[in-house]
Amino acid sequence: MPIPRFDYFAPRTVDEAVNLLAQAGPDGRVMAGGTDLLVKIRFRVIHPAAIVGLKKIEGLERISFSRNKGLTIGATALLADVAASSPVRRYYPGVAQAADQTANVQVRNMGTVVGNLCNASPSADNAPTLLALGARVRITGPGGQRSMSLEDFFRGPGMTALEPGEIVTAVTVPLPPPRSATAYLSLSARAKLDCSAVGVGVMLALDDRDRCKDLRIFVGACAPIPVRAGGAEQVLIGEKLTDSTVEQAALEAAKATQPIDDVRASADYRYKMATVLTIRAIMDARKRALRKKN
Amino acid sequence: MEKHAIIGKDIPRTDGRAKATGAAMYTDDFKLPGMLHGKLLRSPLPHARIVHIDVSKARALPGVKCVITGADTPKIKFGNWRLFPATQDEYPLAVDKVRFIGDEVAAVAAIDRDIAEEALELIEVEYEELPAVFDVDAAIAEGAPVIHEQSPGNISIDRKINYGDVDKALAEAYYVREDTFTVHAVSHAYLEPCSSLAQVDLDGRITIWTSTQTPYIVQCLLAATLGMRENDVRVIKPYVGGGFGGKMELRTWEFCAAFMAKKTGRPVKFTLTREEELAYGRRRHPMKIRSKVGFTKDGILVGKDLKILLDGGAYNSMGPTATFLCGNFGAMLYRYPSYRFLGEHVYTNKPPAGAMRGFGAPQSLFAAESQMNLAAEELGIDPIELRIKNAMVTGDRIPGVATISSCGFIESLKEVAKMSGWKSKRRRLKDGRGIGVGCYSFISGGVFNWFNTQYPFSAAEIRAYADGTVHLLTMASDIGQGSDTVLKQILAEELGLKMEDIRITSADTAMTPQADLGSWGSRVTLMAGNSILKAARKIKKQLAGAVSAKFNLNVIFDIKFADGRVFAAGKPDRGMSFGEAVAFVQKANRGEPLVARGSYTPRGKGLVTPAFSFGAQVAEVEVDKETGLVKVKKMWTAHDCGTVLNPMAVEGQLDGSIQMGLGYALSEQFVMDGGKTLNTTFLDYKMPHAPDMPPGESVCIETYEPEGPMGAKEAGEGLVSPTAPAIAEAVWHATGFRCKDLPITPEKILRGTGKL
Amino acid sequence: MKHSITLNVNGDTYNLAVDPWRTLNEVLREDLNLTGTKFGCGSGDCGACTVMLDGRAVSSCLTLAVEADGKEILTVEGLAPSGEKLHPIQEAFIEKGAIQCGFCTPGMEIAALDLLRRNPGPKEDQIREALAGNLCRCTGYAKIVEAVQDAADKMKSNQS
Repeated sequence: MPIPRFDYFAPRTVDEAVNLLAQAGPDGRVMAGGTDLLVKIRFRVIHPAAIVGLKKIEGLERISFSRNKGLTIGATALLADVAASSPVRRYYPGVAQAADQTANVQVRNMGTVVGNLCNASPSADNAPTLLALGARVRITGPGGQRSMSLEDFFRGPGMTALEPGEIVTAVTVPLPPPRSATAYLSLSARAKLDCSAVGVGVMLALDDRDRCKDLRIFVGACAPIPVRAGGAEQVLIGEKLTDSTVEQAALEAAKATQPIDDVRASADYRYKMATVLTIRAIMDARKRALRKKN
Repeated sequence: MEKHAIIGKDIPRTDGRAKATGAAMYTDDFKLPGMLHGKLLRSPLPHARIVHIDVSKARALPGVKCVITGADTPKIKFGNWRLFPATQDEYPLAVDKVRFIGDEVAAVAAIDRDIAEEALELIEVEYEELPAVFDVDAAIAEGAPVIHEQSPGNISIDRKINYGDVDKALAEAYYVREDTFTVHAVSHAYLEPCSSLAQVDLDGRITIWTSTQTPYIVQCLLAATLGMRENDVRVIKPYVGGGFGGKMELRTWEFCAAFMAKKTGRPVKFTLTREEELAYGRRRHPMKIRSKVGFTKDGILVGKDLKILLDGGAYNSMGPTATFLCGNFGAMLYRYPSYRFLGEHVYTNKPPAGAMRGFGAPQSLFAAESQMNLAAEELGIDPIELRIKNAMVTGDRIPGVATISSCGFIESLKEVAKMSGWKSKRRRLKDGRGIGVGCYSFISGGVFNWFNTQYPFSAAEIRAYADGTVHLLTMASDIGQGSDTVLKQILAEELGLKMEDIRITSADTAMTPQADLGSWGSRVTLMAGNSILKAARKIKKQLAGAVSAKFNLNVIFDIKFADGRVFAAGKPDRGMSFGEAVAFVQKANRGEPLVARGSYTPRGKGLVTPAFSFGAQVAEVEVDKETGLVKVKKMWTAHDCGTVLNPMAVEGQLDGSIQMGLGYALSEQFVMDGGKTLNTTFLDYKMPHAPDMPPGESVCIETYEPEGPMGAKEAGEGLVSPTAPAIAEAVWHATGFRCKDLPITPEKILRGTGKL
Repeated sequence: MKHSITLNVNGDTYNLAVDPWRTLNEVLREDLNLTGTKFGCGSGDCGACTVMLDGRAVSSCLTLAVEADGKEILTVEGLAPSGEKLHPIQEAFIEKGAIQCGFCTPGMEIAALDLLRRNPGPKEDQIREALAGNLCRCTGYAKIVEAVQDAADKMKSNQS
């Protein structure tokens, strides 16, 4: 395979970036932090001819929050900055936690939340929590701007709904409902800071009688994309969260997965862990949601 | 005991400043004028005949200066076991056949790395694929493909140890058990990838800077494979970023750098990538271990019958030594009145296994120590008690193999039980927690001359100067373990000097006395230390004579060397500074510099080693019974390494062993698809990170090893062995699941406990 | 096409023309002969190549040199610029026995500096987390963690 040789562009505006990308055609790639992209190039997984770096585009690194609009994480906002941002930590602790758990310090100082999503790895640490919170992605392309739910964004390992020439400029997250909490749990052979073999993210909202008012569950690394465990959600919505109802839901959650054997775990183990982690994640979210009064 | 000024102190490493500032140069940091960059083409097939290689397109690529294949080389096989040339089974570049995915087929040298890599793509190799085998059972089965013509059954070498009547002992034993254990391959994972830079001098001599543990072995084997004389090759070991056994042979890139430097007249450097290291590099031997032991009713061992199949991969590498040593370690720690061992080294179409820290011990002792724990459970005896009943003590002999000249094993067992609160924790721990014990014994260098050196095993030269400094020259190789510092300590102590009075030149085969076999088998402190002491004593004799003459001392006086002075014992005023004494001797000898040599070769020390270390370790774990994840909560270690020369260095070795032992027990493994290694990055080759490490406590049981320099012996290598059996036992204590098949993964625990 | 870039490394300015695919690690080691920064894996998993880029610890093997254009870079060689007096982190690494083979040391020291700038009084588990991107095969990390604690104390007392 040929040596990775590519041209590099550092546009100053999103429009300029979109134009450059359009000119580059299928051999063009967008780069935010580069921590995934450069590894793929080095291992000859991809062979881009042109790289469009986003870091010089002013404003894309911004993390902003308002009660009406919710949270906006720009395309080049670093994982480290998302993890440290005070509105994120206050209103979206699960998002901060997932960013903080991604890889290691060096990667968090280079990599971005949006990049982690666009890389579309089934095990992306930032995906399940954002999916559970109903996040959306903002996209700019040759045809203008659009936005779509993150749930519709993932199409397969390394594949997204982006059309040629399109760039994700931000991920937006609505304000979580009252009396809600998120939880994200992941597993791998090493205790920490590793590529996950299984990950489960949930967003749970309770009603005033502590019943499950709303619930969204996403399982990572157990299918080509992070999958929604809709069956499991249905088991619990409107119900009391007891050991037995949660377990029943978690068994449903595993059914939503299509795990495979790979270097990190076997399919059987992943299937089983989808259940175990779902129970733990729901219980964890429940504990934290209960602390919130009406 | 004698009071020491420097020995036994936490002396910081003398290369610390160079390393802390980034000034320390490792091989890849060197750059020479006109230097070319080398790259290797490797086999994509596990077993194949090479039908044809066409390098014309690669040669034609602009910037490419040299392309070679096996056909261009002298085709001389090499291997570390020179004493038995039949075991030397490897060519620097493949000739006729490739035997594993990664076997080196061709090499390119070009003006930059990118061009070299591009040229690799242009080499056309036609292979005829052959059937391949990937495990020992398939390799020794009837009709299996033959990997090396000279070993038709794929067993390259076997070793036996036999004493006492094992069959009778086991037949008459009160309790007999037989178990089969399997252990896996792991990577040395030294942080510095292998690198070599070769240059031809004006007079045709080759100088090679190379990341090696064994400059002398590289010198001899490189000369042999190039068809040159030994003294035509100068090996310089710069700073080395760890070895752990993985850098103790001649390797293809060393040959290619030298051969291509000769061909092109330009310096050539090869540096491996991490993926090459993980996918094709040497690894620890996987083994299949069948062990049968017998006990009396009181738990006294009566005999052991041990059979081990070693998965050697495609070449012998250091396999013959591993084959003997795993049998030796099977007989260690306890008194086995009868013992029988058969080890067979089997070829498979996988990357060759080589030497790795512990070298036969981690595998053999995982089996032996797990079996002691199993027996303890069934005999109803506490595992530590059972060990104490059977433990070796000073003066014990392994017939025909070794004599134990110092042994603090029982003390280690008692100490580790006390430190860990063994008795109460063994009785009761909260759910999911468990505690287990494992022990080790290790060698302080080997005595068997498989390399067939014609020189002493270790040698030292000391030059004393009138300014009060001395220069130590030794081929001993500091690869990170700290031997330069410890050897300086030994010399400074012996001569009564300060650390800063000692200069050292080490591991340069043209400058240092012949020879030193290298850094492996925990041999350096004992062997180089002894050779240094011998040389130092020759210097001292002359200096003592000078002081005696100068002060007209009665011959019954002892002469002391301390605080930079040489003086009559009890009469410190009758003496002079070390430098003055040197000047005096030099004058007496009409200007002849004061130089002395010393050497050490173990003689009459049996078949294995001059001295054994011992120790015991306890692990406490917490197992998440739903996920199978194991968290090691704490490790306690008590070990006997003779005199502790530098406590901080010994602790550092112990801490590092625990990291490697923990990875071996729980998380490190090669995921293979046939002969292909799938996890070739540090993301998926899971060695423990800082947050994975448990806290630890350790105690050194000081003994005095008569054969060691100042009473010292091995420290830190053997400690890699007890961790896996201790953790396995703790996992059993926590869950009831006994893992006989490393590594102990969450999935195995869940399957073993019926949860998956 | 080569790009003209300006790197500010350890206080020195370098004007360079680099191919866009070359990493900061390659440029530091090969073009600027700053070989203190190591190359251990090339995939951001070992930390041996860690440098400070505009005040943050990053893997130089995963940073394109063109993206470092105009930025401030600190490598191990810049920790003790005078060469006489070592940085407290370097002193602590030497004194506490945190160095064995030394190949991880430059990256570890930079990762430690990154931590101590953010958090001058880290607890043990915070140190371990902060060093999780830096592999070491020799020391088991114990003495490295001790050294970082010691360096934190040294830096505090230097300030007061």
